Amino acid sequence: MIRFEQVGKRYPNGHVGLHELSFRVRHGEFLFVTGHSGAGKSTLLRLLLAMERPTSGRLLLAGQDLSSITTAQIPFLRRQIGVVFQNHQLLFDRSVFDNVALPLKILGLGRDEIARRTLLALERVSLHDKAEQFPADLSTGQQQRVGIARAVVHQPALLLADEPTGNLDPRLAAEIMKVFEDINRLGTTVLIASHDLALIARMRHRLLTLQRGRLIADGEAA
Amino acid sequence: MSDSNLPEPRPSERVGALPRAEVKSAEPDFATLLVAWLDSHRASLVDSLRRLGRQPVGSFLTCLAMAVALSLPMGLSLLLDDVAQLGGSWQRAAQISLFTTLDVDDAAGERLRARIAALPEVAEAEWIGREQGLEEFQRQSGLGEALRGLPENPLPGVILVTPRQIDKAGLETLREQLADLSGVQLAQLDLLWVERLGAILALGERFVFGLTLLLVLALLLVIGNTIRLHIENRRSEIEVIKLVGGTDGYVRRPFLYMGTLYGGGAGLLAWLVLVYGLGWLNASVLSLAGLYGSDFALGGVPLEDGLSLLLGAILLGYVGAWLAVARHLSELAPR
Repeated sequence: MIRFEQVGKRYPNGHVGLHELSFRVRHGEFLFVTGHSGAGKSTLLRLLLAMERPTSGRLLLAGQDLSSITTAQIPFLRRQIGVVFQNHQLLFDRSVFDNVALPLKILGLGRDEIARRTLLALERVSLHDKAEQFPADLSTGQQQRVGIARAVVHQPALLLADEPTGNLDPRLAAEIMKVFEDINRLGTTVLIASHDLALIARMRHRLLTLQRGRLIADGEAA
Repeated sequence: MSDSNLPEPRPSERVGALPRAEVKSAEPDFATLLVAWLDSHRASLVDSLRRLGRQPVGSFLTCLAMAVALSLPMGLSLLLDDVAQLGGSWQRAAQISLFTTLDVDDAAGERLRARIAALPEVAEAEWIGREQGLEEFQRQSGLGEALRGLPENPLPGVILVTPRQIDKAGLETLREQLADLSGVQLAQLDLLWVERLGAILALGERFVFGLTLLLVLALLLVIGNTIRLHIENRRSEIEVIKLVGGTDGYVRRPFLYMGTLYGGGAGLLAWLVLVYGLGWLNASVLSLAGLYGSDFALGGVPLEDGLSLLLGAILLGYVGAWLAVARHLSELAPR
């Protein structure tokens, strides 16, 4: 599913985001990426979303080389990916339903199919009764779940999450992680960037540890 | 919303279902994609209308600024067209006067006129006999009594030739051709006047063209700046759309509708401004023309000119919005 081959990322100001990173992720895997601030977690996610390009090495996602992807191909790559942000990135002038339905509208699905899948995604995060409300009417945890519903509504092959429980209390964080595991059981590969080591330890999934842009450990969280 | 209204998940959508790799995804067919595409356009149009409606005063003022810029060159062009008709056509101003020899009577003059009128370069030819010419001269010059004292009519017959084209070289060739005709003593063409007329026309046309170019540029800047502000207001939305796979075309669409709506609004307003503006001006023109014994009046805004104005404004709005989005799209990469 994902293959990093000696991937490096150096910014124009000289800062090195990633040092010759190499690892593979199989289809349907659930893994965490952890490390201190500046370790390279966000850079890794940005490379996978083609928001940035590697400056060295080769990065393959579902067989596509992201080092040489064209600008026109990027939207179609992103349609295979769901992404969850720490700050939710919801559109506050649209209802919960419209927020979640956005990727399906972009895909060009029919109105009935959009309604069916959107309500299903909202049910998956237990928010089907909030479809007509607006994000501002929801709690932080509920907003995060709307973000997750939007990320999975189009059944992406890969789900990326950047500190998805950063603003949540431990109980809500555990609930959110449960949602991610449910989604992973459907066959979606899940990659979560987090520095919440306690939470990661409880989950017992594969863990990549980054330090100053280098991969220093790759194994099951203990 | 009750649980009973929830849709039934397909096997691949149930937790614990088949692995994703083993599930065949159902790609939408062409008809579904077409309907969804039309839906998306309708939604963009409705959304753009709603956003303009939320700021009625601002939207109206933007349209009005564009309308003023549109109505200036169009109004000037319409005025020039009207003035061009004042006192006859421009062609008439470039008439060639053929003075015949004194022995050409009315019958011979009429035959000569018919021969000249048949020439392809000639639009019209009019015979003014010697007696008719004398009567007109007496009437217009105020020398009626003095002329009556002359032993015989000194005026020759005249054929007034109206050419089809008014280019200088063509007129001179025609004049030489007519001067060679039997019975013609003198062929007179006021080339200086024709040159002045051509220069005035060219100046007017160039002025209107220059003004149009400047105001089109101003319009593009107005629409570009307006759309830029809308883009800034929707930056976070655009970033999200791009992150979930929206193409540049998808991002661009609502702004193109917005530009088109601004253009349409401005075109309609400009049309109204011209109709009422020319109507208001016409009262004074009628009064002035009446003092000169003329029934000259401004022609208003013909339907085809109004429609051209509207379509041009819509096109300008569309192009302005397209340029603005193209200019800012690269800056809208998700952060």
